[in-house]
Amino acid sequence: MPRDTHSDTAKRHDPRHDELRRLEEGLDSLQAVPETPRGAFRRTLDGVVPPILLLIALVTAWQVYILVAKPRPDLIPGPFDVFEALVSAWSNDRLQLAVVTSLERGGLGFLIAVAIGTPIGLLLAECRPIRRAVGPLLSGLQVLPSVAWVPAAIIWFGLTDATVYFVVLMGAVPSIANGLVSGVDQIPPQLRRVGTVLGASRVEMATLVVLPAALPGYFSGLKQGWAFAWRSLMAAEIIAMGGTIGFGLGSMLQQSRELADLSGVLATILVILFVGILVELVVFAPTERRLLRRRGLMAAGLR
Amino acid sequence: MTSPTNVALAAARSEAVAPSSLESSAITISALGKRYGTGPLVLEDITLSIDAGQFVCLLGASGCGKSTLLNIIAGLEKPTEGAVTVASGKAAVMFQDAALFPWLTAGRNVELALKLGGLARPKRKAAALELLDLVNLADAADRRPHELSGGMRQRVALARSLAQDRKVLLMDEPFAALDAITRDLLHEELERVWRQTGRTIVFVTHNVREAARLGERILLMSSRPGRIVNEWTITDTGSRRIESPEVARLGDEITDQLREEIRSNAA
Repeated sequence: MPRDTHSDTAKRHDPRHDELRRLEEGLDSLQAVPETPRGAFRRTLDGVVPPILLLIALVTAWQVYILVAKPRPDLIPGPFDVFEALVSAWSNDRLQLAVVTSLERGGLGFLIAVAIGTPIGLLLAECRPIRRAVGPLLSGLQVLPSVAWVPAAIIWFGLTDATVYFVVLMGAVPSIANGLVSGVDQIPPQLRRVGTVLGASRVEMATLVVLPAALPGYFSGLKQGWAFAWRSLMAAEIIAMGGTIGFGLGSMLQQSRELADLSGVLATILVILFVGILVELVVFAPTERRLLRRRGLMAAGLR
Repeated sequence: MTSPTNVALAAARSEAVAPSSLESSAITISALGKRYGTGPLVLEDITLSIDAGQFVCLLGASGCGKSTLLNIIAGLEKPTEGAVTVASGKAAVMFQDAALFPWLTAGRNVELALKLGGLARPKRKAAALELLDLVNLADAADRRPHELSGGMRQRVALARSLAQDRKVLLMDEPFAALDAITRDLLHEELERVWRQTGRTIVFVTHNVREAARLGERILLMSSRPGRIVNEWTITDTGSRRIESPEVARLGDEITDQLREEIRSNAA
């Protein structure tokens, strides 16, 4: 057994071997690429300060415009009107209800989409004939705006949550499946060969080599899937109102429009925007950063 | 560095393939041929027997089919005709790029090989560390491939292929992408590992000096179709350096013949 012979010989001190070791250590320390991590605090600061500065600048410009040009408040409300609309929606609990309802649907719809899209993606990636047949359809579905499904969904499912979920799924599933397919496609062939050489079975190859290797592509598919889910959800909520459909952000937006309440409309748009940004910042960005940094796939400036 | 003086390099030429008894031969190749589809012959009538524990260098110009031959021995490709027998079952393989799994640390890469080789979980960590120590990288076990230099990655790959614990190690130009200083060091490292572990090594290279530095037996391949046209056996009397006059002399001799082979391909 080579492992045993090794431990025996290691005990014997061979001066030539020691010399080689020191030589190698010297070369390693010259050639290795040291990681220079910045502190978590510094990183957060770098990530948070610029967008906040931009936000302050935009709101200031907006307020200056209101003060200087004095437009009709029902056509162009000022930042304070919008803020007031937010506060009033908050105080009668409509805002909280809408955010919770939409997030719940978006989140649940996204999870179902992951559960459906992942096996589809795996099947497409590993089975050529199926891919040739289904691939173009899936890419087509990814381009088709999922709002287009709303009328059909209303006829099929009526004004129920099923309509909303259906539209969300039609938006998110193709992105997730396609993300996984391209993730698998981008695996360097050499990694699979190594798996074969190391004697991996089919299952071991899939779980220990293919899936981890495809993770970055899969993850960007998930990110896009969430974006599509969230957009489709808003569209569905705006169009399909009433019935047993709960009160979401889209519904709130549509309600404000019917009341010709532009401050309310803008306030709701801002809330939808911020929910999207928040999910990206809290859920996706940190995971993605960790994933890429661990593989050395991140540009030095982004570390 | 203490260099061994007066390494006797008896370059014994023999046109025929050395006949050796089947018991001691680790790899037996008989009348092997390979073509892709209906294309031209890549390999033609290769008959070869490699002794257990031998360090064999397979030398040839780019595209002569030496990597194909190695892949066939490794079981990654099927021969069109003839047969290959690896006495100990499967062989371990090391490629030109380290092809470490980028999502695993150096230690975990070696552990994965141990896992796929069927070693029980509690023993893996210690075994992986020992293997990394063998290539002098025990301290780098927690580092990820992108944090290592090319030479270090290749050593982790060597440790990983040793983790398979197979008697035959196939190497496909493993040091071709490294700088000369690192390559020189890795030659020494590989030779030490070979002497320590008693593996049979088939080392594919297009670098004549590298072959003359490392091999006990050097096989020269022709191109289109790939055939073994000559071989040199070097009586192993210990380590030799790539700068030594013996290596240079043997290298010149092989180079002359290699060039002749290449010239014969001119239209």
